[in-house]
Formats: sequence, C-alpha cells, structure tokens
Amino acid sequence: MLNINTYRIMFKNFNLSKRLLSLGMAAALVSMGACVEDDVTPDDDDDEIEADRWLTLAGAFMGETAGDGNGGTNIYAVSFEDAINPETEIDIFNDGEPVKSNRTARLQVSQDGGTLFNIAYGGENGGEYAKFDIRGGASFVQEDVTVNISQYAGTSPRWSKLYNGDKNGIAVNIANLAANNSEEGNPEEEFKYYRGTATVLDLDLQETLISNYKTYELPLSTEEELAGHAIFRLDAPVLNQAGDKLLIGTWMRKYDPATGERETEWDRLGTKTLVVDYPSLENPTLITSTQADGDCSGYRSNVNQLADDGYIYQATTRNSNGSHILRIGSNNEYDNSYALSLDDALGLTDTYVDAWRYVSKGIGYALIRHGEEDQGYVVRMDLNQKTASIVQGLPDDPDVRFNQFQSFLVSGDYLILPISPLGQDGNIYILDSQTNQVTKGAKLINQPGNHFIGAF
Amino acid sequence: MKGMKITLLSGYLRLGLITVLIFSGLASQAQSLHAATIKGEILDSRSNPIPGVIVRIKDSPYHAISSIDGSYQIKNVPKGNFELMLSCLGYQEDSKNIVVDVEEAVVQLDFLLTESTTDLDGVVVQAQSVKSEIETKGFAVEVVETQKVALQSLQTNDLLNRTAGIKVRQNGGLGSRVDYNLNGMSGNSVKIFIDGLSISTYGSSFSLNSIPPALIERIEVYKGVIPAHLADDALGGAINVILKKGVVNNLSASVSYGSFNTLQSNVNAAYRDEATGFTTKVSAFYNSSDNDYEVWGKFVRNILANGRYDYVRAKRFNDAYRSVGGKVDLGYTNVKWADQFFLSYTGSDDYNEIQHGTYMSIPYEGRFGTSQSHVLGLTYLKEDLGIKGLDVNFTGSLSKINEVVTDTVKWNYNWFGEMSLGLDGNPILRPSGAQQGAPTMNHIDRKVATFRAGATYEINPNHKIFLGQSYYSMDRDEQDFMKSAVEREFIGTRDLQKSITSLSYELDMLQSKLKGSVFGKYYYQGIDRMDPMLVEENGTTTRIEDRVKSSRNTTGYGAAFSYRLIRPLTILASAEKAVRMPSEGEIFGSPGDNIVENLGIRPEISDNLNLGFILGDFEHRSHTFSFTGTGFIRDTQDKIIQQINPRINDAVQTNPFENLGKTKSIGFEGQVKYAHRNSFRAILNVSKFNSQYNTKFDSNGNVYANYGQQIPNEPFFTINSSIDYTLRDVVKSGSLLRLSHYFGFVDRFYTTWLEIEDFRTPRQYINDIGATYTFPDRKLAVSVDLRNVFDKQVYDNFAVQKPGRALYVKLNYTIGNFR
Repeated sequence: MLNINTYRIMFKNFNLSKRLLSLGMAAALVSMGACVEDDVTPDDDDDEIEADRWLTLAGAFMGETAGDGNGGTNIYAVSFEDAINPETEIDIFNDGEPVKSNRTARLQVSQDGGTLFNIAYGGENGGEYAKFDIRGGASFVQEDVTVNISQYAGTSPRWSKLYNGDKNGIAVNIANLAANNSEEGNPEEEFKYYRGTATVLDLDLQETLISNYKTYELPLSTEEELAGHAIFRLDAPVLNQAGDKLLIGTWMRKYDPATGERETEWDRLGTKTLVVDYPSLENPTLITSTQADGDCSGYRSNVNQLADDGYIYQATTRNSNGSHILRIGSNNEYDNSYALSLDDALGLTDTYVDAWRYVSKGIGYALIRHGEEDQGYVVRMDLNQKTASIVQGLPDDPDVRFNQFQSFLVSGDYLILPISPLGQDGNIYILDSQTNQVTKGAKLINQPGNHFIGAF
Repeated sequence: MKGMKITLLSGYLRLGLITVLIFSGLASQAQSLHAATIKGEILDSRSNPIPGVIVRIKDSPYHAISSIDGSYQIKNVPKGNFELMLSCLGYQEDSKNIVVDVEEAVVQLDFLLTESTTDLDGVVVQAQSVKSEIETKGFAVEVVETQKVALQSLQTNDLLNRTAGIKVRQNGGLGSRVDYNLNGMSGNSVKIFIDGLSISTYGSSFSLNSIPPALIERIEVYKGVIPAHLADDALGGAINVILKKGVVNNLSASVSYGSFNTLQSNVNAAYRDEATGFTTKVSAFYNSSDNDYEVWGKFVRNILANGRYDYVRAKRFNDAYRSVGGKVDLGYTNVKWADQFFLSYTGSDDYNEIQHGTYMSIPYEGRFGTSQSHVLGLTYLKEDLGIKGLDVNFTGSLSKINEVVTDTVKWNYNWFGEMSLGLDGNPILRPSGAQQGAPTMNHIDRKVATFRAGATYEINPNHKIFLGQSYYSMDRDEQDFMKSAVEREFIGTRDLQKSITSLSYELDMLQSKLKGSVFGKYYYQGIDRMDPMLVEENGTTTRIEDRVKSSRNTTGYGAAFSYRLIRPLTILASAEKAVRMPSEGEIFGSPGDNIVENLGIRPEISDNLNLGFILGDFEHRSHTFSFTGTGFIRDTQDKIIQQINPRINDAVQTNPFENLGKTKSIGFEGQVKYAHRNSFRAILNVSKFNSQYNTKFDSNGNVYANYGQQIPNEPFFTINSSIDYTLRDVVKSGSLLRLSHYFGFVDRFYTTWLEIEDFRTPRQYINDIGATYTFPDRKLAVSVDLRNVFDKQVYDNFAVQKPGRALYVKLNYTIGNFR
C-alpha cells in the first residue's frame, strides 16, 4: 500500500496539518490505479526541497500559431507544498507575470528557488540579463542593474547557469562560420575548412557583470575539415565535478566542399564536446565519442548534467540511430565503454530527447518522441543498468509536446514537472525515481495554443 | 491674387482628354500637350466666386470646372477661334468667343453669372475634377495632389502619411526602408505602382523614397478594392503614383537644403514642336542627406566591456543617403496615329547606409546598400482607334536592376561610432561575423519585363467595357562575393512570371447619379526555381541544374458603385474578393532554415468591403465644408503562415508554409474639409481600425485566447490635420505667402503579442510648420519648413527613432508658369 512516508519524502518539514491532505491524495492515487509500491527508505540528502521553497512555473503564449511559444512567457510562483498539492489550481496565463522577452524567455533559477535569471531572447533587449527576486504569485521584482551580453554572444544567446552556488552563467556562440577560401579569408587558397569563431563568456550572476570571455577557432582534424564538417553551434555548458573544466556541447554541420551547400544527411562524426579550462576559459580542446554520433547541444534545456557519481551524462540528438546517453569521466574524456541507446532500451526507432534530467542514484528522466510521431513521452532511465521505460500514468495524448521544455525541478529522489497536452489543462507531476511512482500535483489551467515550458 | 488661383486651379488637371481617359481606366498614361491656356474667374452678381461651373470649349473635349475660388483654367488649347460655354446649376448659361492666335498665350476671360430664375429640373451637365472624378466612382480611393506641397521641403512619403487610412512606417531618416500600412494591411499585401507599372520595375533607387513630389502629378490610393485597369494581386490595396506629364515648353527646378546636410533638388522640363507633334520631356532629381540626427532614450546606449549600459545621446553616424535619377521621354503627341507615343529611359542610382536593424539598440558601422536601374519604356495611347469609342493604351518596359548589399565590418561599434572594446581591450567580433549577419557583398541582379495594356469600348455614353492585360516577369540572379568561388557556382536562380487579365463593365446612369463597375480578374503566376547540384554518374561528378516550375492561377471579382442620393450626398460601396499570390519563399521554402517547399500552396484570399459617403460641398457665404467617411472590413482567409513544428530542433526538414491563418480588420476613416474663400483651408482626418487575429478554434474546438486580439505592431489609430492660410500682397504687391501647419497623432500600440508596457510605443504628437513665399512674377518661390517643431521622439517602428527638429529652406524656380 502507498503510505504516507512515500509522499512525505517529497519535502522536508512536512507538517502535520498537511498529512490529512496527503492521505487524501494517496487515496486519490490509489483510485486512479497508479503504480503502488512499498515505501522506500527516505533519503536524507540535503537536496530535498523545503516546503516553502518557491516553485516558479513558466508557460509560453502562442504567437500566430498554436504551440509556437512566440507570444511571450508568463511566470507564476507557488510554494513547493502548494505545487505538489492536487487541490491547488494555478492559472498562469491569467494570473502570471509576463517576462520581458520578445520570444520565449530563456530562464534559469537559483538553487534556493528564490531568484530567477533571464536573458531576453531576441528583440530590442535581446541578450539582456536580468535578475528577479521571487516573492510568490505574480510578484517578481527585477533588480535595477542589467547587463547585456549581445556584443559577445548575440541578441539570441545560448546560455546556462552553472551549478556552483549560482555564481556564474556561461554563454556561448559561434560567429561567422565560413570557408577558408571565402572572400574574407583567402580566395586564392585551396579549400581547407569551414570554421567559425567560438566565444565562451562568463557572466557573474551575483555582481551582474561579464567577468571574462575568450574567443577561439575550433579546428577539427584536417580530414574531417576537408570533408566539410564544422561546428555550427555551441550550447549546454556544464562545470565538471572538480570545478576546473567547462564541458560544452556541440551541434555539427556538414557542407559539401564541391558545392558549398549544406548537407541534410551525411555520415556523422562521433559526438564532440568542447572542453575548456575554468575559470580561465583557456585551452579549448575537443573530445569525441566513439559510441554515438548525435549532437550534444540540446535545445531549450541543458542536456549535459553532472551526476552524483562524478560523471557528466549527456543526451545526444539528431543521432543516426536514435538518441543516446553518453558519459564523460572525471578525466574530462568520454567513457567510451558506456552508452545507453534509447532505441535499444525502449525497443523504438528514432527516439529523440527533447530534454532530460538526472535525478539521483543513477536514475534520470528523459522527455522524448520517436519515429514520425510528434507526441511526447516521459522515459525513466536507469543509467547504471542502461535500461529505460516509458513512464505510465501520465497524459497519453498526441498533443503532449516537449519540444520547448526548459526546466525540471529535482527534490531528492523526485522529479517535478508540468505536463499538459498543447492548449489543454494539465498538472504538475511528481515522479518518484526510485519507485517509478507517479503523483499528480497542482492543476494547471491552460489556454488554447499555449503550453507549459517548465518548473523552476 | 491670380497666382493663388492658378495654384489652386492647377489641382484640376487637363480635363479634356484626361477625364475621358480616366473613364476608360487609362489615367496613368494621360497626356496632352498644347500651347495656350485660357483662364479666369467666375463671380456671381455679388462678386462671390462660383465654384463648380463647367467651362467648355464648344465642340471640343476641352473643359474645366471652376474651383472654390471661382477660378478656372483650360490648358493646352490649340490655336483657333472658339466659343467658351459656361453652365452651372442655379445660374444662367453664358458664353463668349475668343481667338487664340499665339503659342504660349494665356488668355484671361472672367465671367459674371446671374442667378437662374428658371426651374432647372432638366438635364444637368455634371463634370468633375480628376480627383473628384476618381473619388466618386465608388472605390475607396484617396487622390493625393502634390501641387501645393511640391513647393515645400516635403517628401512623397510625407504626403502619403498625411492621408486618411495610410500609415507610412519608415526605419529612420531620408532614404531608409519604408513599409506602407493601408487600413490595417501591410507588407506585400500593398502594391505600389508608378504610372500603372509595379514599382519593382524601377528598383529601390527610383522609389517613393527618391521621387520628389514635384515630379508627381498625383497619387491614387485604392483601399481594399482595386479597379480593373490597375489589376494586380494586391490583397490590401494599391498606391499608384502618376508622374507629371509636363507642361509644354516649361522648365521648373527646385533645390532644398536643411538639417542633417540634406539636399533635395529636381528639374523638370517639356517641349513640343507644334508642327510635327514631336515632344520631349526631361526630369531629374538628386537627393542626399547625412541623416546624422540625434537619438536618445532607453534604446540608445553603449554597452560597456562588462555588459553594463551607458545611456547616451548620440548622432547617427552610418546613415547617409544619396539618390540620383532621371527620366527622358521622346515621342509624339496628338498626331494622327497616336494621342501619345513615347519612348522613355529612366535611370537611377542610390547609396544608402544602414544604421541598424529592426531596432536601433545596436548601431551598425559600414553596412550599406547600393542600387542602379535602367528602364526602357514604351507608351502608346489612342482614342477612337479604327472605330469610334474604342480607346487603347499600352505601357511597357524592360529594366535591369542591380542591387548590392555590403556588410563586411566584423567588429562591434558603439553609438559614438567607436569600436567597442572587450574586457581584454580588444575589439569584439560581431556575434554573426558582420554587422547584421554573416559578412556579405550580395549582388542581386534583376531583369524585369512588364507591360500593361487596355482597351475600352464605349457602347454608348452609359455603358463601357474594359479589357486589360498585365504581364510581369522577373529573372533574378544572386551572387554573394563574400562566399568562396565554389559556393558562388552553386547559387540558384528564381524566375517569376505573373499575368493578370481583367474585364470590367462600367455604367453611368441616371444623369451620372449612379456610377459603377463590376469586374473580374484572372491571375496567373509561375515561378521557376533552378538550383545547381552535383550528380555522380559512372564515377564522374557533373554539375546539373535542378529545375522546378510551380504555377498557380485563381480568379477574383468585385464591384464598385456610387449613388448620389441627393445633391450633396453620395453613397459609395465597393467590394472585392482580393488575392495575394504566394511568394517564392512561401512556395519553395528555405533549405537554409529547413523549411520544405509546398508546391500546392494557394493564394491568400481576402473579402474586402468598403462602405462610404461623400457629403458636400456645403457652402455658406464664403465657407465651404465637406465630409467623407468610409467603414471597411478586410476578412482574410487562407493566410499563409508556417505552423510550429515540434521538430524545429531536428535536422530533418520542417513544416512548409500553409494556408492556415485568418485575420480580420474592421475600421473606419473620416475626413472633414473646410475652406474659407481661397485663403484658409483645413483638413482633418481620422483613421481607426481593429486588425485582429481571427483564427477561432484550436484542434480541440476551444477558442484561442488571442482570437479577436489586436495584431501587434500595427499603428491602429491616427489623426492628421493640415491647415494652411494664404496671405496676399505681402511685402510686394502680387505676391503670395502661404503658411501651413501639420499635426499628426499616432496612438500607442503594442509591438508584441505580449501586451506589456515595455513593448508598447508611446503616444505621438507631431507638429510641422512651413511658410512659402511666391514672388509676384510667379517664377520664384521660397519655402521654409520646420519639421517636428517640438523636437519630440518620434517612432514609426518600435525602438527606431525618427529625426527630431529639422529646418529646411527650398527655392523653386519656373520658367513658364507655376502649376
């Protein structure tokens, strides 16, 4: 039987008055036929979330077409205990606060849930970093000082906060990807390579200023470059456990040197990750996986994650045989003895990871789609056993989409995320990584064409 | 006194030929060149001027109508003996004989009419100015006359912007990019023509940015419903610029200089040989400006090395503009075989620095565009060709347009025009490699062949049939010289052909109380795509050209009617099923952005409806009022949009453009005109519309939250007021001093779907004043214009400031006469 303890470990300081409530929830779960298991020994890790921590929900408005997220972003904060309470109703699109960003905001949150970081994406203020003090509900108080990284990283920058006590954010960019014998290079030369100029920028989140940046070219091997391979984009920076190296995902492109045209299908190279020293940002080197050939740049959320075992796990996309989970060891090299193929583990084809999150004890969850379908699924992955399965008990609807998903919240062994079909009401869901149990949290009121993009 | 009248009168064109031509839909080719001018003024027994008197040379097409101040003018009258007939409702008819025996004669003939005591219940001969003629055919049309303001330092776009229902949105100073919003529709829904031919025939160097008002006879703005003679796939409307046809043996020139080192000049001359009919017209313009006006406010900031903002006031430093152009026409007028036959050459060249992209928050250094165009044209016009009542016209051109966009400066610059330095003291590379994007020296060469031909057959004075055909073809080649030699070999080409056949039937019944037309249009469009590619055969690779042709056709139809209910009130109604053909990008997608092609895409369709009235003129003593108003609906279906694809992140190809959108614009515009004698004139117009997102249900049948929401980034409420006052005999007897004031109001609007204050424009109030002094000899006029008097921050587009206070002085000189 489901017992209260199962629920209790979702957060600490669980007060008595809430117990009755949770009992009700538990009953509801049973009646829903959710997976029910014996309780698990509570894990007293310090990364469990306090009941009064703010959970900020983000939802994207449609622009001209349903699901495009181009109408802007609303945010709304509730206490963690309210968020996981199925009695709560949250109407973010009516009650929330808009984030000043022309298109979907690229948000990050402090570890204590009290501060929201945003870099405006596109528009007149594109590249502008701002900090918001979260006061609950629609109350987000913007700090006076802003800083704009657009000169270094563009008005639509890709960036990620480091998990080093909210001290730093890293923005990355590749500029002017061009052939060596273009007019600006040396037109008389033989073709040798397509290369751009990479920028890695360190943003001091506390002082609100740019503290360092470096630019470099990132050559591949002569042979790879002659074939037309090039790094098109960088994204998803992560700090290693030692805190002395940044690992940055790459998105590869290939040009046909005979025509200069971009190829749409080609024999992909092994997945490559850029490694630079931190905090100096010097010594860029590229490491290559022999286990997969997808890109490891992610999209709206960071696909490179440091696990409690000291490995950095990364999810690949655009992989020739479906997304893989790879890992990089503390020596900052790929562990080429390791790979989790989601196609193999799930028995599907062309799985594609839109976002994923490492939770604890070797368990992570991925938001995927597969084959020709657009429907999104949640997959529980056992990274140690290299197994994976689709989580049952979640909305099974062709309109469930995770392509713009930005953020999950992890509390101890639990993963918390909003799920709804596009334009329909949904819920916050609490997934128990250890038991594979699913619990419904607060109800999320939606509007046609809009979708939820994360819990922060 | 007389000069003023002439100025006023000159708004009324050579009615004789033109009126007929307009009726046949041949307005753009109208031309008539003769020597003499007959003019004068018509007063009643109390010496009050009588407007609206028809003055006709007996047994000829030459006629005129007296204007508000009672003056009339018939131009281009050949030599000979004539009888001048006058008729006007409420007055007794009158006539006088005159002899015109000298070329270039100006014959002054004044009349005194006595009030009629007889009952004028019978036939009333009605004639109108070209402006009023066009405006009472039932279409929602505005005719902008350039005559008076041509003496001022105003640009063509300024005139359009002051017109009801039009919002001109310019991205900065003189020469910068312009978009036109007509009753809530904009972009490529609004088509612009010069003398009936698409403005893309001439390239960006010969555009409304560069052509001075002095070279323009008038501008016709058709809203939503477009007459058959101007048929094009213009979903939202059409702006037709009629270039001046020239006054015979006349030369005029003007030069304006003012703030921001802005120089605007033009010269215009015409000659006709009486014996042979050989006619020459020459016109030319030169414009230049540094556009180094000051900008300030929250969008103007230098970004420091550490990313912090330093808000500054700064002068624009990469915004210079220069354009030069000219047109020569050689041909024959009013000869046996043609009313008009012209061969013309139009050449133009411009240079345009680009200070910033969509928003001015990031200044550019060294990005600029140049363009040149060479256009050869042929015009032929003949009335009564072979049989009486059959009028034909043809206008065609071949053009070669070269445009180059250059952007190779790869460093960040700040608003002081200095290189931005990074934390390490080194210049910072632009995030995309050059100012706006990747480094480019993109040469776009277009060859355009286009013609428009029409024939009108007048079955009888009440019924006419018009058949028109237009054709447009464009071959485009693109070469980016910043790319490698290999890459340049593999750039594709796109060729477009478009043809439109239109048929209309026009009626004019009940003594012109009821006028109208019904029309149908057949549109055809074909686009050839050629992409070079390599194929491997038997071990050897060869370059082949992959060609795809996509063509589509559709039909549209519409009608326009006007009915004069009672004497001062005319009701106008027009409706059209309007069409916009998909663009090349919408059909073929964009491989670079992973957008796949959709060869089956259909045209956008919009049901456009206008319902309006003209009330007036009302006259009370020396006061004249008139009112006009129009309500409109633009209901657009099959709007071409791209659905979001959850696989946008994927390497695989993504969604094509599809016919899925719906928008609707509902609004009204109104205009009040007031005049006191011929010295004071005021025009006030208001335009307000609600242009809304009109897709109602999502796939689950729920109503979208933004269903009915105002589409962002469209100014939807504007007011314009123009006042001018003319003083006579200032300093010198016979001189004129015209004082003018313009006020414009644009209400605030949101620039994004997210309706928050940060993304809302401020309310804007713009004031311009001007003074024009015309010397007694009527040859020289000097004007002084003070624009944006209160130095307000003015924005047409979000975060793009337009010039502040600016002063211009202009000299106009005419040999012949001021028109």
